[in-house]
Amino acid sequence: MNTALNISSGPHARDKWTTSYIMHVVILSLLPTVVIGVIANGLHALMIILSSVIAAVLSEFVFDKLCHKKDTWKDGSAVITGLMLALCLSPSVPLYIPILGSMFAILVVKCCFGGLGKNFINPALAARCFLLISFGTAMTRFEVDGVSTATPIADLIGGNTVNITKMFLGFTPGVIGSSALALLVGGLVLWALDIIHGEICFSVLGGFTLFLAIFGGRGFDPRFLAAHICGGGVVMGAFFMATDYATSPVSKLGQFVYGTLIGVLGAIFRLYGGTTDSFSYSVIIGNLFVPLIDMYIIAKPFAYRRTAERKTGQSVPLLKRVPRPVIVLTAITLIAGLALSGVYAMTKDTIDEQKRAANAASYGAVVPEAVNFESSGAIDKAIEDLNGQVYGSDFGRAYINEAYIAKDADGNTVGYAISATSSDGFDGNVSLAVGLNAEGVLNGISFTELNETPGMGMRVDEPAFKDQFAGRSVTKFTLNKAGGSTEDDQIDSVSGASTTSGAVVNAVNAALDFFHSFMKGGN
Amino acid sequence: MVYPLSQHIGKPAKPIVKKGDPVLVGQRIAEADGFVSAHIACSCSGTVKAVEKRRTLTGAMLDCIVVDNDGQYNRAQGFGEREDVTGISREEILRRVQDAGIVGLGGAGFPTHVKLQPKDPSAIRYVIANGAECEPYLTCNDQLMRTRAEAIIEGLELVLSLFENAEGVIAIEDNKPVAIAAMKQAAEGKKRISVRALKTKYPEGGERTLIKVIAGVDYPAKLLPADVGCIVSNVGSLYAIQRAVVYREPLFSHVFTLSGDAVKNPGNFIVRDGTRFSELLEAAGGLKEGVTLKKALAGGPMMGIAMSSLDVPIMKMNNGLTLMSEDPEEVAERQMTSCLRCGRCSTVCPIGLIPQLMADAATVGDLERYEKKLYGLECVQCGSCTYICPAKRPLMQTFKQTKAEILARKRAEAGGKK
Repeated sequence: MNTALNISSGPHARDKWTTSYIMHVVILSLLPTVVIGVIANGLHALMIILSSVIAAVLSEFVFDKLCHKKDTWKDGSAVITGLMLALCLSPSVPLYIPILGSMFAILVVKCCFGGLGKNFINPALAARCFLLISFGTAMTRFEVDGVSTATPIADLIGGNTVNITKMFLGFTPGVIGSSALALLVGGLVLWALDIIHGEICFSVLGGFTLFLAIFGGRGFDPRFLAAHICGGGVVMGAFFMATDYATSPVSKLGQFVYGTLIGVLGAIFRLYGGTTDSFSYSVIIGNLFVPLIDMYIIAKPFAYRRTAERKTGQSVPLLKRVPRPVIVLTAITLIAGLALSGVYAMTKDTIDEQKRAANAASYGAVVPEAVNFESSGAIDKAIEDLNGQVYGSDFGRAYINEAYIAKDADGNTVGYAISATSSDGFDGNVSLAVGLNAEGVLNGISFTELNETPGMGMRVDEPAFKDQFAGRSVTKFTLNKAGGSTEDDQIDSVSGASTTSGAVVNAVNAALDFFHSFMKGGN
Repeated sequence: MVYPLSQHIGKPAKPIVKKGDPVLVGQRIAEADGFVSAHIACSCSGTVKAVEKRRTLTGAMLDCIVVDNDGQYNRAQGFGEREDVTGISREEILRRVQDAGIVGLGGAGFPTHVKLQPKDPSAIRYVIANGAECEPYLTCNDQLMRTRAEAIIEGLELVLSLFENAEGVIAIEDNKPVAIAAMKQAAEGKKRISVRALKTKYPEGGERTLIKVIAGVDYPAKLLPADVGCIVSNVGSLYAIQRAVVYREPLFSHVFTLSGDAVKNPGNFIVRDGTRFSELLEAAGGLKEGVTLKKALAGGPMMGIAMSSLDVPIMKMNNGLTLMSEDPEEVAERQMTSCLRCGRCSTVCPIGLIPQLMADAATVGDLERYEKKLYGLECVQCGSCTYICPAKRPLMQTFKQTKAEILARKRAEAGGKK
């Protein structure tokens, strides 16, 4: 006992959980999602994941070395960022996208703001938004066997039905990590291990579901709600993104408020926004509110909480224990939601009226001689029978919206106008009006809805493309991707935008088919 | 044998022996200096060797009475016989407790006779016998309750006789079924006494958390238990009270836990005050073979004081020695990362503070926020946050320092006003 022992301030015992231990558990919890993602999407998905993770770790390593920091790249947090980013990417993106994204996430969002625990928004989501802005086309392209399709969420937003089971398992087109089942398993494990805060994930889910149920227009329809929740995005957002330690509030109440905010915002974006990335944005907006929440919602310690209870030694009724901010926030949420749906309801008619006017104008453009557009019982019945379903079987996802017989001032039939939509556009729907003369020869087409990439898909609206249809008298067109067509039924694709061109051809073909089936001969 | 004069909170005792004096077991060798102070009794027989400064367990040199132990342990007169104490007066109980030099054996060392004399004795609703261990590793309370249940109950009854409106509650963690059974048996038929099982959770034995659980009252750090109608006493202290009142025996020995992974024969011992830690270790069989001692703690691992040497005396309020073959501090330092903001620290804080924000405020020197907004001075320094922290941040150390800084500033301000 001659040598002096170490002295230090207590406590002299430490829990076995370390930072890297937690990080490794989180990585493990994401593995099921990774496995299903790779099975569903093939080897390229694995390459995306690997390059994203490696780029993230390397970025942190380089930053550590350049700034002479303690080696933080080993703690596993960079792996998580890389992994989460990769899981939020389409399985068909080129490899430079995950690499650039990971570098942005780690170098700009994480390291430049002070590293672990200091970032102000979720690095993976920030990188995802960075990539969406920079590489919009590649980021939103979802292909099945080389053919681009819409994700179930895009379908949902478009008002279509989806296969919930396939979606829940993760075998529908979408990002790599779209298996809600695998994400849910991982998330629940993390929650059971007390790694993520239940206050956050369940209030995100709760806020989202409640808002959808109240304002989604379908009430508590389980199929409708399940379809919205079973896309991986909600589960990923609730369990893995919103729960990021650095960007969530400290107090339980704060976490509840934050989670609800994210859930409600996500639902608002789903219902009223056009984007399929509702949760990327709602989580980031939630992140930005965290400092504010933390400033105002700080849990009071022992002995400063419920004065009434302390003074009397009696317990306070449950209702009085609900903190006022919860009541106020719930009220605000409800009022905001009501206001939103009120505005929607009030403006719906006006919007529809304007749509009709726009449609009428486009009909006029494709059948210039017409003075009047008349309907007929048979046509109305045919459209009614379609009931908004996909038209035919070989036009992709095409819909017939309206069809009219064009009359001149004397009541003679001068042509026909048909409005059709294809959902196979690059960025949502392509809607157009097709005009034919009294003999059934095409007068031309006019777009009523077109949200394609400027300079690419948008070029279908240029005469070089759309005037190809005029004067032709065929029953079905085919798209010629190579260009230089000679045949009457061939349409040259806009180069570099075959998806959009294809959508246009599909919509026109559907309209022509409808014409020949139900309208030809003036009935 | 070495007897520091300051083995309690309050003023150090005044020595009443001088070099060369013969002393006996139980003989008073130092007298309380004022009300908040306690007598000190000798635990051996022999000759006073010196009254001088000696190294004590915190490392400080303090005034001590050093006695050359003759090994005979001859006892002084006037104690050890059981007396009939039925109908004993309040004043007599308090006098005997004070004479025995009893202090809180839970670790704080607050003189017991002071604690037993609150302003308004009739306002006391609960006398809580704290049978929860102060810390993990320590088992001295458990051992005492298993073997001395009746004496503890008798001590509690004596204390209850001071407070006519109080009920006695014996609080024991639920992982001690044997102790609970023993205490329940001993308390059978006693109308004013009940036994309550607590969750086994550090720091459930802390005064404020205990009162919250038993009496349903929480109170801020500036109040004392008596202000909310509670008296909390460690079962060790109650045992000492029983010895003092019924046997007129002064406090010179107590149950002590020897524990830790470096110890060959861990266990509980009745230790005479003034024994050196190293002597106890040696008598108990020393360290495990092939193990190097890296850290020695007076007390348990959470709030225990790290000692640089074991050659210092055991004092009244020392209830354990924990010896470790690894220095957890060294390991933690290697694993330290930046704060993750995972929030584990706030979930374990018994007071409901937010250690991560407190550490932020302390680091940037925002003492105003630390004290007013985050209630930093409420911290009981139990170390739970530091234990649980996956980033291995030195939270409690920061809080100790910050508290000292704030208090020092306040003193300076108060001094400036005068």
